[in-house]
Amino acid sequence: MVQTDQLEFQYKNKEQLFRFPNITLKEQEHLLILGKSGIGKTTLLHLLAGLQKSTAGSINIDEVLINSLSHSQLDKFRGQHIGLVFQKSHAITSLNVYDNLKARLFFSKKAIDEKNIAALLKQLDLIETKKSKVNELSVGQLQRLGIAMAVIHQPKLILADEPTSSLDDENCEIVMNLLQQQAKKHQANLVVITHDARIKSSFKNVMTL
Amino acid sequence: MNNLIISLKNLFHKPLYVFLSIFSLSTSVALLLGIQKFDSSIQNQFENGLGNIEMVVGAKGSPLQLVLSSVLHIDNPTGNIPYTEVQKLSKNPMIKDAVPISYGDNYKGYRIVGSTLGFAKLYEAELLEGKEVNQSLEVILGNDVAKKLGLKLGDTFLSSHGLTENTIEEHDQSFTVVGIYKPTYKVIDRLIITNLASIWDVHHHKEEKEEIHDTHEHEENHEHEHERNTHEIDEREVTSILVSFKSPMGLMTMPRNINAQTNMQAALPKYELERLFQFTGVGVKAISWIAYVILLISCITIFISLYKMVKERAFDLALMRTYGASNFQLFCIVAVEGIIMVLVSLIIGFLFSQIGLYYLISMFKSQFQQDIVLTFSTLQMVQTLGIIIVIAMVSIVLAILPILKMNISKIISDEK
Repeated sequence: MVQTDQLEFQYKNKEQLFRFPNITLKEQEHLLILGKSGIGKTTLLHLLAGLQKSTAGSINIDEVLINSLSHSQLDKFRGQHIGLVFQKSHAITSLNVYDNLKARLFFSKKAIDEKNIAALLKQLDLIETKKSKVNELSVGQLQRLGIAMAVIHQPKLILADEPTSSLDDENCEIVMNLLQQQAKKHQANLVVITHDARIKSSFKNVMTL
Repeated sequence: MNNLIISLKNLFHKPLYVFLSIFSLSTSVALLLGIQKFDSSIQNQFENGLGNIEMVVGAKGSPLQLVLSSVLHIDNPTGNIPYTEVQKLSKNPMIKDAVPISYGDNYKGYRIVGSTLGFAKLYEAELLEGKEVNQSLEVILGNDVAKKLGLKLGDTFLSSHGLTENTIEEHDQSFTVVGIYKPTYKVIDRLIITNLASIWDVHHHKEEKEEIHDTHEHEENHEHEHERNTHEIDEREVTSILVSFKSPMGLMTMPRNINAQTNMQAALPKYELERLFQFTGVGVKAISWIAYVILLISCITIFISLYKMVKERAFDLALMRTYGASNFQLFCIVAVEGIIMVLVSLIIGFLFSQIGLYYLISMFKSQFQQDIVLTFSTLQMVQTLGIIIVIAMVSIVLAILPILKMNISKIISDEK
């Protein structure tokens, strides 16, 4: 469950104040947030992920008011309950695909289940690349790894920032399907922010900023 | 998976940076530890080698040369002095022992020193086996000499003229080994000790042979020897006299008197060695400073490499934060990378210093027949390592401080 109330944010030394509409998502509900560039989409996503602290309002994720958490509590909460997918997918460059997933679980303080990792890699068609370094992966493989990193720890909330903007139609559909499948599998809420109208049809809940 | 594994994988991901940092830091560690250990060992060896000798009296010349030749046996003597001076000096009430030594020959590079029983006492040398020298041409071997040359009791050998190994000017009177000293770790270990009569006999015999050869007067041989013996008491010479005093008063007055009133010179070994160390100390200090400069450069290298790593991997570090890693955890991961580099450098540096010292000592041994016992003050080593660790740690902390100020949101947004 995700609920925001009267959320506001202002960057230091900047005049622009972002005011965001309230969000209410029940369990397993998905939401697409559309908006033009500079409207504050990424800022909203970072607020939901606890990467930024709101200047006003509240964010409630599964009965936890995340803006009242300390830095260390927030790190822990984010690690355990939130999964992030970025437009340009990234992973730890010094580790291979398999070790990246293990590191993700380690930082989340969750038990490392090798079978679970292997199953997810198989599901995302990454099993052949499990020993490959991140810089050896193709763009598509990297994007799938990004999704794997966001869901391996079974989060309550998956946040995706422009996950399809740089992809062609075919890959756009594949990525969206994967995201929705994984969110369903892990019974997580999915929030996608984008200016990519191609994925509008995949969502029942759409909010425009 | 744990912090250490992540740190190690990060290190292996940038092998060139890591190699350069470790290479420069280990070089400075090797230089610092090696030069300090060598200097301390040489000083200790020389000071230990003095035994109980407080003053050396010999022919006029360089006092340092007199000490190096007569006490440490690593230089040529300044000349000879009359044996009668030994007798005069022995009678001085301020003197506890006046031990004459005479040398000028060697066997396979080891000096043959003629002296009295008092010589062994100066070095507190005791017999390991055999007996004291009773007759001319009997010798007792220092422990190193016996080991290196493999000589045993009853073995005989021919000495060579001069102080360096040669087989051209061999004497034809052979010496017999009658004793071997226990190890003392002092100069006496690498000397062959005999009595004064042996040295005089060998040299008179040589002079005698030369005269015979020159004049071809074989028939006058006996008469000639008789003549020489009648003058021998006045003509006998020694190389120097090693003196120990009954009280410090002797040390304060006698050297000045000898230098002013006789044709001989008196040198104080401790004073001369201190002067020598002052000269050599300049070199040691210069190398130490170079090592400290390398240390500073290597710490800057570590700083740059870690700082660059933090900057280049800012997105990786920010990602780790999104995965749930705390600032402290990231700090630890990068700090451990630095600490591993420092530890590996310390170990490699220590090994390099040991290998370097081994070769330096081997060289010293082959040039001066001088065995060096490696000594190093623990305090000095702790101080040196302490300085290295502190400088390295400061570099590490300075390099990774930016992690604490990292704005994850900005880094992730910028990378988009």
